[in-house]
Amino acid sequence: MNRQSSIRVLFVLLLAAAFVPALRAQKVPVTEHILPNGLKVLLLERHDAPDVAGGWVAKVGSANERPGITGIAHLFEHMMFKGTPTIGTKDFKKDVEILNAQERVRELMREEEAKLRAAWRRGEIDDPQKPENRTPRLRELGKEFQQLVEEQRKILVKNEFDRIYTAGGGSQMNAYTSYDVTAYFITVPANKLELFMWMESERILRPIFREFYAERDVVFEERRMRTDSTPLGKFAEAFESLFWESHPYSWPIIGWPSDIAAISREQADDFYATYYAPQNLTLILVGDFDSKRTLAMVEKYFGRIPKGKKATPDVVTLEVAQNAEKRMYAEAETNPQVDILWHTVAYGHADSYPLSVLAQILSTRTGRLYKNLVLGPQVATETWAWQGSRKWAGQFNLGGECRDGRKPEEVEQAIYAELDKLKNEDLPAAELQKVKNNFAAGEYRRLANNHAILQQLMRAEGAGDWREINEGGPRLQTVTAADVRRVANKYFTKENRAVAVYTRKAGAATDEPDFAGLSDQQKPVARKVLSTIKAETNLAALKQRAQQLDEQLSKAEAKTQTFLKLLRKKTQERIAELEKK
Amino acid sequence: MKPIFVHALLLSLSVVVFAPAADAIPDRPEKLQFPALKYEPPRAADHRVVLKSGPVAYVVPDRELPLVSLVIYVRTGQHTEPAGKEGLASLAGSLLARGGTKSKTAEELEERLAFLAAGLNASVGDTQGTVSLNLLSKDLDEGLAILREVLTAPRLQEDKLALFKQQTLQSMKQRNDDSADIEQRERRFLAYGENFWVNRHATQASIESITRADIEAFHRRWFHPKNFVVAASGDFDRAALTAKLETLFASWPFQGDVAKPVPTDKQFAAPGLYFVEKDVNQGRVSLLLPGIRRDDPDYPAVEVMNDILGGGGFTSRIMNRVRSDEGLAYSAGTGFPGGVYYPLSFVAVFQSKSGTVAYATSLVLDEMRKIAATPVTAEELETTKKSFIETFPSSFATKGQVAGALAQEEFTGRYAKEPDYFKNYRAKIAAITAADVQRVAKKYMTPEKAVILVVGQKAEILKGHPNHPVKIESLAPRMVNVPLRDPLTMKP
Repeated sequence: MNRQSSIRVLFVLLLAAAFVPALRAQKVPVTEHILPNGLKVLLLERHDAPDVAGGWVAKVGSANERPGITGIAHLFEHMMFKGTPTIGTKDFKKDVEILNAQERVRELMREEEAKLRAAWRRGEIDDPQKPENRTPRLRELGKEFQQLVEEQRKILVKNEFDRIYTAGGGSQMNAYTSYDVTAYFITVPANKLELFMWMESERILRPIFREFYAERDVVFEERRMRTDSTPLGKFAEAFESLFWESHPYSWPIIGWPSDIAAISREQADDFYATYYAPQNLTLILVGDFDSKRTLAMVEKYFGRIPKGKKATPDVVTLEVAQNAEKRMYAEAETNPQVDILWHTVAYGHADSYPLSVLAQILSTRTGRLYKNLVLGPQVATETWAWQGSRKWAGQFNLGGECRDGRKPEEVEQAIYAELDKLKNEDLPAAELQKVKNNFAAGEYRRLANNHAILQQLMRAEGAGDWREINEGGPRLQTVTAADVRRVANKYFTKENRAVAVYTRKAGAATDEPDFAGLSDQQKPVARKVLSTIKAETNLAALKQRAQQLDEQLSKAEAKTQTFLKLLRKKTQERIAELEKK
Repeated sequence: MKPIFVHALLLSLSVVVFAPAADAIPDRPEKLQFPALKYEPPRAADHRVVLKSGPVAYVVPDRELPLVSLVIYVRTGQHTEPAGKEGLASLAGSLLARGGTKSKTAEELEERLAFLAAGLNASVGDTQGTVSLNLLSKDLDEGLAILREVLTAPRLQEDKLALFKQQTLQSMKQRNDDSADIEQRERRFLAYGENFWVNRHATQASIESITRADIEAFHRRWFHPKNFVVAASGDFDRAALTAKLETLFASWPFQGDVAKPVPTDKQFAAPGLYFVEKDVNQGRVSLLLPGIRRDDPDYPAVEVMNDILGGGGFTSRIMNRVRSDEGLAYSAGTGFPGGVYYPLSFVAVFQSKSGTVAYATSLVLDEMRKIAATPVTAEELETTKKSFIETFPSSFATKGQVAGALAQEEFTGRYAKEPDYFKNYRAKIAAITAADVQRVAKKYMTPEKAVILVVGQKAEILKGHPNHPVKIESLAPRMVNVPLRDPLTMKP
């Protein structure tokens, strides 16, 4: 399922002064109700389309984890689709027996895995997770466990939870885990609202975590897909970890690989009891229903979930103040670029509004970064700017991809120059109004359909309070030029930032087909020369160069032959290209 | 302008106390009773307007929000690009909306649109161009005047062309960075052939050769009302908007051309295993088979078959086997899109760690054989059919979707041949039997023709996994090493 962070979303409402006053008082008329067991219920009737977008958020994300169980919130998101006593198995009694037997084997396996980690610490094995390094006892136990899996498969009804919704006309069924929240959602035809009630209340009331250990393998593949195998995934993860010092935002939502492999069913059960109690959940429905009847149905189905025994623990660790600039230099398969983060403020903080305005001033095609880095002096080809307020803390992000031939440090300096202007000069009124107009129009565009509204309510509720979708907009409209200047001076200091500088990894895939046979010393030289050849438009100069290369080749040593041949080939290709025109 | 919601702010915080439930909650959801849902899809006749100025428009008022959305679909595409000018269509799209107009420089146009919080965009894809305008209804007249100028008298500013060319060239350099990009590109080469038009990629030489005159010629040739189909939705009166559209398209200042039919001379690769070396710890696999057109009589049965095999997410067989049973992949599934102009290929895709690529591939092939050999179960068939039928209304959840879907029917020519396509869709799906599914599975699921593309660490993938003896080279008649293409010339 999706892994997302809420960094790129802003929730706002209300209108620019330029708009007609009649529109000013409109808000999203959500009603809020609290059941006796603590469950919060949000309802919004909309009768345009014959469907209901329904979802619920558990106010738990990776920030609620601790070292050793990182990734558990996300693993839960996967496990919540595995069924209930009656969904997912043909024989629940036997199912429970097998699950318990599996757990006993896993307990013994964990003892062996501890021995492997000890062997790794002593340097006896290279990697405690490699299948080749398993102890004979662990191999035995692995086989025993696999037999139990096969046995369970005989009575398993595969993905039945999904199948029931699918046959019922459910669509957009998915879930995501962020640093702050885990959200589950689906759209059902309006006449299937009770199916939603049954399915969601059952899986919260009595979930069965079948296929727990196979699902950890799925998460590993998800990690490989998102983090390990993408050009920037592993570097972005490292940068985020570098940025946060004391705060739990420092570990990735998907978890550290060693932790994902070690999480036990028992830990999962504890986590569930703590964070999936109804007082920590909010149920949200948007669409074609009658609120009064729907509320009665909610009480019938969700009211039976017992209240949790303990209050959900708060995240108490605060990010410590950063004392020095941090820098990361990464060589990656990417065009050179720079990415900068500053510590700012959490969701709903008074300064988050001027910071959001400031981000808008810098971003978009008519924003300052594009105008002054891409269009003007042309140091960059692309730029970005975000204020990312999360529930417990926030960050501000600016960055850009270098234009060919320019260095990340040049882009970085150009960004600082733009920030300096914002620190020293008030925003012109028209520029501020332009940004506010866009926030105001965005208030309408976000209301296009039930699903989109549900998503916004889930995000706002997960980050702190759903009311922000009605209250954030007016606050953005009251931001002044002085506010923007004040926050620019307050947050954008050298000590408060972390900078990631990306350069293209030498010998990266881009030039591999041509660079076969070149030495590591020759490659960077070749890259430089080839780029000048490709940019050359003077035909005569190229022809002269080709001639020189012919001469050099005739007297070159063996080890430079390959290098010179490549240059000659590329020069000739360029000549042919120019002659064709 | 209408308020968003009839009621004013209605927030209530209350602790709800209810009477206990009268009837008990059943142990299985099948025991629930649901009220009937009557639904009729939108009819073209209710919204279709043939404008005197040429285009057909679908006009769907929606007074909930003070917004108007206008989308113009244009009969053009990458297939019309002259040889040597690959990338022209895409650059033309960008420059049309971003390059200013006769009365406004690019900078003035951008500033005005931004101040109005209006979205004006243009792009040209493989078989259609799109120009869209989304704005507050109070600004509609100004927006339409700007749109008219963009369409009839774009400035196509030279400095912006130079910028877009530079950006295109620079992004080309990233063509081999991401294994997913490599997979997607090579998949198209294998499915449609080196010489098919979809595989004519922009190169450094082609982009450098493109001039403002090329863009201008492209624009004047294709951006003419006779090539337009319009989808309009939002806060307007139908008659009033129709009149505005007539003005928008009246007395066009130049004569356009009508494009030749989309070429269909594709060529499917020889069966085999095609390897692209890439140093990532997860192999990406695409398994291809020759495809089908959407107007083929087999297509409804093919849609159902594909959904059961791998198209239906967690309810499908391949997801169950590869992900849920074995934990071999995060995403695994199949696609069998019916082509509008030529048959689009079937594809099964998944990503798995190097060691288990071979085993997971064997499972996918196994599922393809199974669905051809044995009829699907009544339950599988029922689930898929109900899903297609019951989720059908969600294709029309907003007025924008209604206008867009109807306009696409017009644009792609299905409306002319089958005006009741939407009306009949659910009945067609409901009529599919298990025998139909097996018949099309036998016809199209032919592992002996499979082209298997693997992007990843070849040496590691060839080793396989200690727990699974299957070797990847045993799954195809031959193995071909596909070299990475030079990102700037696209030559291997």
